[in-house]
Amino acid sequence: MSTEEQPSAAMPPAAAPDRAAMPPAAAPDRAAITFRWDLDKTYLRTQFESLRQMVKIPFEAGSDKVHLPGVPQLIRGLRRCAKERAERPYVFFLSASPPQIGSAIRQKLEIDGVEYDGIVFKDQLRHLVRGRWRSLREHLGYKLGELLDSRRAGPAARREVLFGDDWESDPLIYSMYADILAGRLTADATDGLLRVLEVERGAIARVVRAVDALAQHSEVVLRIYINLERRTPPGRFHVFGSRLVPAFNYLQTGASLHQLGLLDDTALRAVASALVADSGYNGDRLRNSLDDLVRRGHLRPSSRTRVIRVLQRAGLSGPAPHEAMVRARLAAAFERLQARWSRSVGPVDAPAIDYEKIVREWADRGADGPSPSAS
Amino acid sequence: MPRIAVDAMGGDLAPDEIVRGVAQASLESDIQMVLVGASDRIQALLDAGPYNPELISVRHCSAAIGMAEDPHEGLRTKKDASISVAARMVAAGEADAMVTAGNTGAAVLAAAKNFKLIRGVKKAALASVFPRQTEYPGQDPLGLLLDVGATIRCDAIELTQFAVMGSAYARRVSKVERPRVGLLNMGSEESKGGEILVEAYKRMKALPSIDFVGNVEGNDVTTGKADVIVAEGLLGNVVLKLIEGIGEVATTVATHAAQDSWRWRIGMAMLSTGISRIRDLADFRSYGGAPILGFESICIKAHGRSTAPAVKNAIKVAAKAVRDRISPEIAEAIAEIR
Repeated sequence: MSTEEQPSAAMPPAAAPDRAAMPPAAAPDRAAITFRWDLDKTYLRTQFESLRQMVKIPFEAGSDKVHLPGVPQLIRGLRRCAKERAERPYVFFLSASPPQIGSAIRQKLEIDGVEYDGIVFKDQLRHLVRGRWRSLREHLGYKLGELLDSRRAGPAARREVLFGDDWESDPLIYSMYADILAGRLTADATDGLLRVLEVERGAIARVVRAVDALAQHSEVVLRIYINLERRTPPGRFHVFGSRLVPAFNYLQTGASLHQLGLLDDTALRAVASALVADSGYNGDRLRNSLDDLVRRGHLRPSSRTRVIRVLQRAGLSGPAPHEAMVRARLAAAFERLQARWSRSVGPVDAPAIDYEKIVREWADRGADGPSPSAS
Repeated sequence: MPRIAVDAMGGDLAPDEIVRGVAQASLESDIQMVLVGASDRIQALLDAGPYNPELISVRHCSAAIGMAEDPHEGLRTKKDASISVAARMVAAGEADAMVTAGNTGAAVLAAAKNFKLIRGVKKAALASVFPRQTEYPGQDPLGLLLDVGATIRCDAIELTQFAVMGSAYARRVSKVERPRVGLLNMGSEESKGGEILVEAYKRMKALPSIDFVGNVEGNDVTTGKADVIVAEGLLGNVVLKLIEGIGEVATTVATHAAQDSWRWRIGMAMLSTGISRIRDLADFRSYGGAPILGFESICIKAHGRSTAPAVKNAIKVAAKAVRDRISPEIAEAIAEIR
């Protein structure tokens, strides 16, 4: 573990945008890859649906915390695989939970054997003391500001992968972050969107300063994975383009990362084994999960076939029915031919997201809107 | 866990309601389901609502047999029709049972073409559950009527076999230890109904394996006198549709009456709980579907107008039929009378 970021210490007071005040961004690190994780509902199976559950959270020890099946294995695999590719991996956690639960979280990550390079918590107590009630509930500006600050202060990795969930605003925050880094969202445009979303002025100012301070723009974010913890219909995320992958479990996430070359067979096997051992998954469930991802266009049939082979070799999935296997192989062969002819299959696409429309709908739903509606 | 092949393209409201029903079942049960139909349309529908992908797979096929289409012609010309593919999957062991809300004739024919009849069974029978009064505490509020359309005319032996199959099904599914079996007829006397029904009466009465309560007249169908009512397909279908119609009539009459006069409106408001109970009782959606009995494999036929809850319940009925080993139970019962 390397340095840990101070919990929201860098949060500036509410003020008008001061575009000259930010130090310039770090130079891009061509050999680094950053994985940014949300904590609750993405890494941890945190229950805060009722007041009783919320009250319990501060008193939980690390050993009481429960992770979602396959996540520790996935993070460990991502880190190891990056090193094997001679990339410097960084893992950051960003949470809207208060720093008072930090020690339990750090304990939990240690139990899980997850190495990380920073955790940021939201200093709710400070907002409470200062009577900033809106800041207590407002996560969008806070998270976007933290992401940009972390990018500026930390390693400006050439590639980033983001992990969130469907409970709050992760799809929107992460997409905006990705498009700010890519230069598709300017400081003025970001400012306008955050105003429509009624983000607190201080938080807007902080984001706008960070956007202005970006030295150069590039396509950094490879994928955004949204854990469908609430089983939000995946169609609702079409508005964010195919860069954002809504995933029902971490085998789906792992399979997509395997397709991108960020996860190897061993790590994928570990994720699938965890699902089988901890959550009662069987071969049918694993295979159906993969097929679902193929049908939704996030996994190529040839990648699916490779993943199935990994699972079969590990004894996690029995042989598929003969006819289904023949069809899958034919589809994979056809796809390989197509790729050879068109050479158009790439890991990253640049979605043209209609933020104004999304944000309008978001604002109509209120700050607690779980996810944007379909276009 | 049972794996159920669901004909996604069959039914008046297919594929929308069928896919939604499967999605609902995936969130409420651990049943594995295979949606058979146009995969692009199926996935677009799944995408629009919550579902559990771990319990759903999709088998693509390009054709479907329409509700008004001639079933013989449809099955002959559309080899890739969803109902045929689902039946073939069951026959090949890729699924344990099938559910369809599609063309009834096509369902029966697809089953007949792909499934083996249980040894000794002369004809398969389409069963249906219907709401009825109960005569004693703990009696199932649903009766079983068969045949409701797989056959048109039957002989006495076939009717007797229907009685045995229906009794076995009720024993397993409704957990009635000794279901009471009645023969639908125009009078309660043994000599009523013509040669075939008289002969069927004698045969059923002579069977120790079933609790035969004699002839059941139309006014006794819903009284709870019999748990299983046997009829040839033509008659059974007419009775079933009549029962379905009662619920709709009750709602329509109540609505019109309430519109006509404020006194009626007040009266209806006071009776609203009772009226909605009648409507619910006669609502086929809550029962899901009923089996085609007599085959080694299970086919549950859901109502043609099935909405998502009905499809979900039909899938649960199919899974229960597989778990409760309905077909071996029927095979044993038939073997006893051979």
